[in-house]
Amino acid sequence: MTSAAPPAGVRPAKPRRSPWTTVALVGFAALTWWAASTEFGIGFDVVRIFENITRGADIIAEFFPPNWEYLPRTYGPMLETFRMAVIASVIGCGVALPISFLASRVTTPNLVAFLVDRSVLNVVRALPDLLYALVFVAAVGIGPLPGILALVLFNIGVVAKLLSETIDGVDPGPIEAANAAGANRTQMVRWSVLPQVLPNYVAYSLYVFELNIRASAVIGIVGAGGIGNLINTERRFFRYDNLMVILIEIFVFVFVIELISIWLRRKLV
Amino acid sequence: MTAATPTARPRRPSRRQVLFGVAVLVALIGWAVVTLDVLPERLLRLPGGLAHIFHGMYLEEGPEWEYLPDAIGGMLESLQIAWIGTIIGAVISLPMGLLGARNVTGGIGSNVMRQVLNAIRAVPEVLLAVIVFIPIVGIGGTSSAYAGTLAIGVHSVGTLGKLTAEVVEGIDPGPVEAARAAGGNGLQVQRWGVLPQVMPEVVAFWLYRFEINIRASAILGVVGAGGVGEALTQAMAFNRLPRAGIIIIVIIVATILIDTASGWLRRRIIEGAAARVGGEALEQPEIAEVRTA
Repeated sequence: MTSAAPPAGVRPAKPRRSPWTTVALVGFAALTWWAASTEFGIGFDVVRIFENITRGADIIAEFFPPNWEYLPRTYGPMLETFRMAVIASVIGCGVALPISFLASRVTTPNLVAFLVDRSVLNVVRALPDLLYALVFVAAVGIGPLPGILALVLFNIGVVAKLLSETIDGVDPGPIEAANAAGANRTQMVRWSVLPQVLPNYVAYSLYVFELNIRASAVIGIVGAGGIGNLINTERRFFRYDNLMVILIEIFVFVFVIELISIWLRRKLV
Repeated sequence: MTAATPTARPRRPSRRQVLFGVAVLVALIGWAVVTLDVLPERLLRLPGGLAHIFHGMYLEEGPEWEYLPDAIGGMLESLQIAWIGTIIGAVISLPMGLLGARNVTGGIGSNVMRQVLNAIRAVPEVLLAVIVFIPIVGIGGTSSAYAGTLAIGVHSVGTLGKLTAEVVEGIDPGPVEAARAAGGNGLQVQRWGVLPQVMPEVVAFWLYRFEINIRASAILGVVGAGGVGEALTQAMAFNRLPRAGIIIIVIIVATILIDTASGWLRRRIIEGAAARVGGEALEQPEIAEVRTA
């Protein structure tokens, strides 16, 4: 820096605001108005929340006290959810591994293979899990099978996206070393890239497993097995006390899995 | 540390633990596959079933192009639900995130707030819509979309609050001390000491959440909470595959377009911010989300 420091006691000039800030603010306001308006949008209205809040309180009161006698009946479906999550995570993460390597320019210099893989991945990621469940239920009928299939596709999308971004950011040193030692592409990936991303891969897999437990509460609504089936039944009969038991159970389940996966991740890194 | 002679190869670390982990995993998979009965014979029906659906959607009569304007209309409603829902989530999660940060609240307060955020996060938006908001605001007309918006908003509070708290915990304490030393009260310290440091990253999270909420709002219709999912569920239920086909195309195209635009904006925000704090690259929201979501 060659410029002299400003004389003491003089306030520095306030930096000018970028014109983009104004553009962004106007765009934000316009989009929000459009989305919330009654004519073009969903007719969102803050006053209505407060009008409905008493009705909300009544319904939430029905969740308490939870009907604990119902708990034993949830064990079977919860176990099914657990099994579905195990199978779907293993298959999904297994398939996602090669797909991730194809989705990064670091490991896939071939532009065509890279673009094809990326495009397929974008399409897979664009569809939500419940929609897959809907299609698979139509294809193979209700039960845990369509649920597992839907979760597998969902898992591939999540893991491949995260892992390919991790691969993009690996340290190039070991890659150069492998290339210099005369490794072919497979050997380079195996000995230079894979060891660097393996801890992340395991972390993503555990994360996806957690997501699956939560997702299976939802996909059961369209008949794809697991604890969601039970939720669907109970909500039809307005048994909110039973629903509360299921919700607490999912919460505890996810919490325990989270603890285990935090412990595992700490051991790995 | 007893240093090895420089030329000696380092000893290979023990693999016993890894082997044990793999054994546990294999046993778990075996148990899951064996006890989950249905698999083999129904799996054989999968290729045929999928081929039939794909054929019905895109090949037999082709997708129902006349339905395209309605499908786009439904997708726009999903987009509006996601947008307003994200704003609700952002507005509520910001103060909750600040309160959940250990360096702002500290002690029991931040712990309690963290657990509240965890509990909110644990209930998926579809469930929130089904068991809380649809009974409250009703269904049909604008009510469906309204229920969906609230469900997405509340669920977003959980994730966004947690991410915000983590970003706040990583700030430089200097500006906070400066604001306090200059006589700032609690609110002023947050406004001038904390928020300027975290806002770029937090706004990037909001955009990222918007991308996730698009996917969520596209399926909320399955339970009658508005958006394009309603038409899709109808089409699947009545076996109108060409119509379901065009809806799926619209969902895919719209989601990819929004992902691209939002991803560009996020990168712009984070890189702009990085330039201002001295070229230090900030963490990608996706990666941070994994640690916490």
